[in-house]
Amino acid sequence: MKTLADLKKIREKAQEEMKLRGSSVRVKIVVGMGTSGIAMGAREVMKTFLEEISNRNLTDVLVTQTGEKGLSSMEPVVDVIEDGKPKVTYGNMNPDKVKKVVVEHIVNGRIVSDYVVATGN
Amino acid sequence: MQDISLHLLDIIENSARAKARNIKVRVIRNVMKNRLRIIVEDDGVGMDSHTIEMAQDPFYTSKEEREKKVGLGIPLLKQNAELSGGCFKMASEPGFGTVLTVDFELDNIDRMPLGNLKDTLLGAVIGHPEVDFDINLITKEKGIEQSFHFDTAAIKEELGDIPLTYPDVIEYIDQSLLEGIQNTNMEDV
Repeated sequence: MKTLADLKKIREKAQEEMKLRGSSVRVKIVVGMGTSGIAMGAREVMKTFLEEISNRNLTDVLVTQTGEKGLSSMEPVVDVIEDGKPKVTYGNMNPDKVKKVVVEHIVNGRIVSDYVVATGN
Repeated sequence: MQDISLHLLDIIENSARAKARNIKVRVIRNVMKNRLRIIVEDDGVGMDSHTIEMAQDPFYTSKEEREKKVGLGIPLLKQNAELSGGCFKMASEPGFGTVLTVDFELDNIDRMPLGNLKDTLLGAVIGHPEVDFDINLITKEKGIEQSFHFDTAAIKEELGDIPLTYPDVIEYIDQSLLEGIQNTNMEDV
């Protein structure tokens, strides 16, 4: 059984890491979780982002969920927001595309233009 | 929506959009009563009686109301519950929050599966760090009650300034939910 004591260990480990490299969030990912997004597979998209972050041990990436974004025909929709760069919106996402975006964009900094449906605000 | 868990995710998103700070989720599988009950309670902005009516009606056509962007999520859930011998209830008070109760007949052939409860809860909990979730899974079967309680406020307190998206924390929440779902026999409902 997982207990709160396990969390204490995680916290200590994370704090050690933060001492070394700072606690800044480099990339923020926002998954559109409105009704049409959910019906089109947004839950699996969210889950794949979380899996990839966990598997690749990405400690400077934040993932959140938000409501309808007015892009219903392109759901599931995902925003990738980096400090000082224009927001990139990916559309018609699925788990395989998420994996590609994580490797190319999040890890290596190359936007996957094939999946982009909007940029900027 | 192919399963009940997707509906649950949709309801939770409604609560989050209503600026809830606390969301209580109960999933109660009562085999003796042949009932699967989902209760979602939030402390969001709430709705007046007119908006509650509107939220349940997919064919509301007044243009003025349409601009309020009440979607199809609630009417679809209500329909799916009623088609499987269940029922749907929503109570709300502006300024206090909303309680939503959905019942399904467990053995009804038209009931959609519960589906992937773990991924629904994992995404909701991590995707809304601003919300405290109080989750209870309860199974009543052959006179025995098994329950699982998951309280994200306690987790956040223990974590301090470590975000929920920290890799080991994702793993921790994923594993905890998995164990809870297995212990309450909610995997293939």
